Amino acid sequence: MSTETAGAPPRARVTDRSRSEERLAWRLVAPAVVVMLAVTAYPILRALYLSLFQYRATAPDDREFLGIDNYVTVLTDPLWWRDVWNTVLIMVVTVGVELVIGFAFAYVMWKIIFARGLIRTSILIPYGIITVVSAFAWQFAFSLNNGFVNGWLPFMDSDFNWFGQHWSAMTAIMVSEIWKTTPFMALLLLAGLSQVSGDMVEAAQVDGASWWQRLYKVILPNMRAAIMVAVLFRALDAFRIFDNIYVMTRGAQNTESVSFLTYRQVIEQFELGLGSALSVLLFLSVLLIAFVLVKLFRVDLAAARRES
Amino acid sequence: MIALSAAALASLSLLAACGDDSGPPELVWYINPDPNPPDGFPGAFGQAGIAERCSNDRYTVRTELLPQSATEQRIQLLRRLVAEDSSISLMSLDPVFIAEFAAADLLEPLPEDLASELSPATLQGALAGATWEDRLVAAPLWANTQVLWYRKSLAQRAGLDMTQPVTWDQIIEAAAANGATVGVQANKYEGYVVWINALIEGAGGSIVTDTEAGPDASVDIGAQAGTEAAQVIRKLASSSAAQPDLSVSNEGTVLGPLASDAGGFMVNWTFAYNNYAGGPVQDDLGWARYPRTVAGEQSAPPIGGINVGVSPYGEHTDLALDAVRCITSLENQVTYAIETANMPARQAAYDDAELREQFPADLLDLWQESIDTAGPRPPSPYWSTIVNATLSRWHPANEVDPTSTPADSASFIEDALKGRVLL
Amino acid sequence: MKRARVNAGILIGAALLLIWCLLPIVWIASLSFKPVEETATGSPQFLPKTWTWDNFSSVFQNDDFQRALINSFGISIIATVLSVALATLCAYAIARLQFRGKRLVLTIALAIAMFPVVSLIGPLFDLWRTLGLFDTWPGLVIPYMSFTLPLAIWTLTAFFREIPWEMEQAAQVDGATSWQAFRKVIVPLAAPGVFTAAILTFFFAWNDFVFGISLTSTTNARPVPAQLAFFVGPDQFNPPVSTLAAAAVMVTIPVIIIVLLFQRKIVAGLTAGAVKG
Repeated sequence: MSTETAGAPPRARVTDRSRSEERLAWRLVAPAVVVMLAVTAYPILRALYLSLFQYRATAPDDREFLGIDNYVTVLTDPLWWRDVWNTVLIMVVTVGVELVIGFAFAYVMWKIIFARGLIRTSILIPYGIITVVSAFAWQFAFSLNNGFVNGWLPFMDSDFNWFGQHWSAMTAIMVSEIWKTTPFMALLLLAGLSQVSGDMVEAAQVDGASWWQRLYKVILPNMRAAIMVAVLFRALDAFRIFDNIYVMTRGAQNTESVSFLTYRQVIEQFELGLGSALSVLLFLSVLLIAFVLVKLFRVDLAAARRES
Repeated sequence: MIALSAAALASLSLLAACGDDSGPPELVWYINPDPNPPDGFPGAFGQAGIAERCSNDRYTVRTELLPQSATEQRIQLLRRLVAEDSSISLMSLDPVFIAEFAAADLLEPLPEDLASELSPATLQGALAGATWEDRLVAAPLWANTQVLWYRKSLAQRAGLDMTQPVTWDQIIEAAAANGATVGVQANKYEGYVVWINALIEGAGGSIVTDTEAGPDASVDIGAQAGTEAAQVIRKLASSSAAQPDLSVSNEGTVLGPLASDAGGFMVNWTFAYNNYAGGPVQDDLGWARYPRTVAGEQSAPPIGGINVGVSPYGEHTDLALDAVRCITSLENQVTYAIETANMPARQAAYDDAELREQFPADLLDLWQESIDTAGPRPPSPYWSTIVNATLSRWHPANEVDPTSTPADSASFIEDALKGRVLL
Repeated sequence: MKRARVNAGILIGAALLLIWCLLPIVWIASLSFKPVEETATGSPQFLPKTWTWDNFSSVFQNDDFQRALINSFGISIIATVLSVALATLCAYAIARLQFRGKRLVLTIALAIAMFPVVSLIGPLFDLWRTLGLFDTWPGLVIPYMSFTLPLAIWTLTAFFREIPWEMEQAAQVDGATSWQAFRKVIVPLAAPGVFTAAILTFFFAWNDFVFGISLTSTTNARPVPAQLAFFVGPDQFNPPVSTLAAAAVMVTIPVIIIVLLFQRKIVAGLTAGAVKG
């Protein structure tokens, strides 16, 4: 769907037929829109409202109007900024690594002439697997007691506790996240690669361009749209990271993400006021990232017809 | 349209739920997970077994499993009770959460006659954990406590006289000098605060006092006792006696190292006995009172267990209160203790012949003594806030600094109680 | 010469791809065949020393897990069918009809796709309690629908744009209404796209964890990812590694079957229209 055709038909051509077409269109569209909004619009408005109160679910009678105090509390709290930093770090590192690995995999899938079914099947398994299962698999793999990672990495002490330090725990979380989502990235990039004209690549090759030159000068520029769409969706997805952290560390060793912090306030602490403020801020952060990526990198949203 | 279909779906599920009205009403009892039954165990095990035995022609008791960790159990129950959920009748509750539940009026006080029957019959330590504002709000099903488990051969090698009280310093040094380890619970969870609390209570202090004041409770973790506790933690964390997975250790991870060739010491709950009974290290397994934080001052062993409470929002509160009587009866406590090594809360149960056959007499005495002289975690409606704030400053153990951590955590806990910081 | 080197590179790449994607699967499968003792402290070998089916039989004997499997299948399939049905209508309108607010619909779908799920669970919990949807199948079906609709709409719109609509016009010329033309001509042509969208939607619902842990509390509706936290090990304080692994293998088998059968369609669905303007 290109956006140009998305607008209303010119006034002059408003006829009975187009009016009935419009009615039909809205009848077809309405159920989906209602369902999408039913679960999102009310809760976020409610969160917006509750965020203005001091409100603990276990002491509902002590509810007290605070105005924007909850937001001040959150935004001046070092924990919030630490978790924002963690989340952004996870987002940048995982998306960066996935871009490289994902491109390599896409390239392999693009070029390979045999065993395509096998390759496609293998790469789809991590995509389809439950994130929680991936988290468990990697948690056990990195486990000091019964994991194989310490034994397989020659430079690693056999009793190194991956979940005992900040950086190693973050690494374990990111490995699980990357493993699970690289296939998605690779497939989006494959779609981009298949748009690159083989003639252009061959012409460059005839002109004596090396493999790297062809990659940088011909292939990558021609699949820019695909890369940007992939980055946008994966970045937003990574920013919401929750499952892996919940299973692997529960936020210990300072591995908490913004989503996990929000979950803890709302669900564990019963701090509906403060937690709602966090919910709203989390929502705004996602909007901000989407906005920055779209504006800064000029992602063509009309092309972004995909979700993770 | 969607709201309509949602309502239709909801009423469908309601219909399904009300499908069978025949038979006596069903009381749903939310239980914490019991250990796995031994292979070939006949019939229902643990709390499920109790539920079966307590079902009669007036009501059936059905168990529904809660998640593994105490923290998760609290979340599940509290969320639903706050929402006045009618599908919970009975619940197995960790004693530390009694204050929070009771203060929010989420526990039905036990009737006079039941309370006056339980009070003299139940161990004082267990009773205290089921009481809020002088009212018994739950009935203790079993009482838990920690003792020091050790390998006799190791203590001998280290020249430690285990018939005398030992200090943390002594066992850490003895283990380190003999290539062994000291197992503690120091993951970022409730269990680590159990250890911290026991260390502080053992030095004559408390994490918080005056907890009736709610958010204005007095935070004492920064006092001298807090420093003593931090010193013990620091000493273990920086010693070769620390297990490599110290920062993620819990009651389960420490079981293996004690049975390994290196052996060692371990503080752990009563269930640990069953883990070694009948195994290769049974004869070498010793037990002693919880280690002292400071020499010359009696230790304050941790206390835990499970209390059975009744929801005020359940449909058959009177029947549920009646079921509590059966669930926590002497016979059920004895059977449960024999099955799971979770010790009875009733005094008389310890004289039961079958129980005394199953567990060594001196161990039973040690457990009873530990429960009666325990240093409980402060009963506060804000306990989970205190736990999270404490963990935020005391975890990981290897970063605990006796000169700064206690004071730092004290001001943080105060801020957290007043809602001035994110937790 | 050069050609051969490139081919070798591709070959190595393919090998790495296979290892990277399958190693954790082999690992979790290997764990599931280990006896409990081998998963205790200090047993880091990759493959089991002795192989056993015990873990699978204990998973099979776990009634709660079986209920969770039924819940997961039931809820995911219902959510998929409803979501794809609504998305098909919506995508048809977007791909085919002129109407004001089309951009708005697309923007809403995109915004929902980006929505941080955790922001919702607090208020949603309250709302569901009030409506009696907490801990019921519809209570999970509805949010799964909301969050899979954008994916389904995007995918289907892309597919629908490839359909030769002249045929529909021809049918309309022959006297069929818009609706008849849609049903008789377009539906059969669109079926493959619908099917692909269904698979992707199913994966999303099957994978969900946040709603699963927040909006359920008993085996009435608790799905598999949430149920995994309820396995009790040899000690009550740690998950039983090998039993969990066996459960993990069991919930991965459907995924592998779907992938084996439909890999072509899934790849097509994931890449369809991703970059074409």
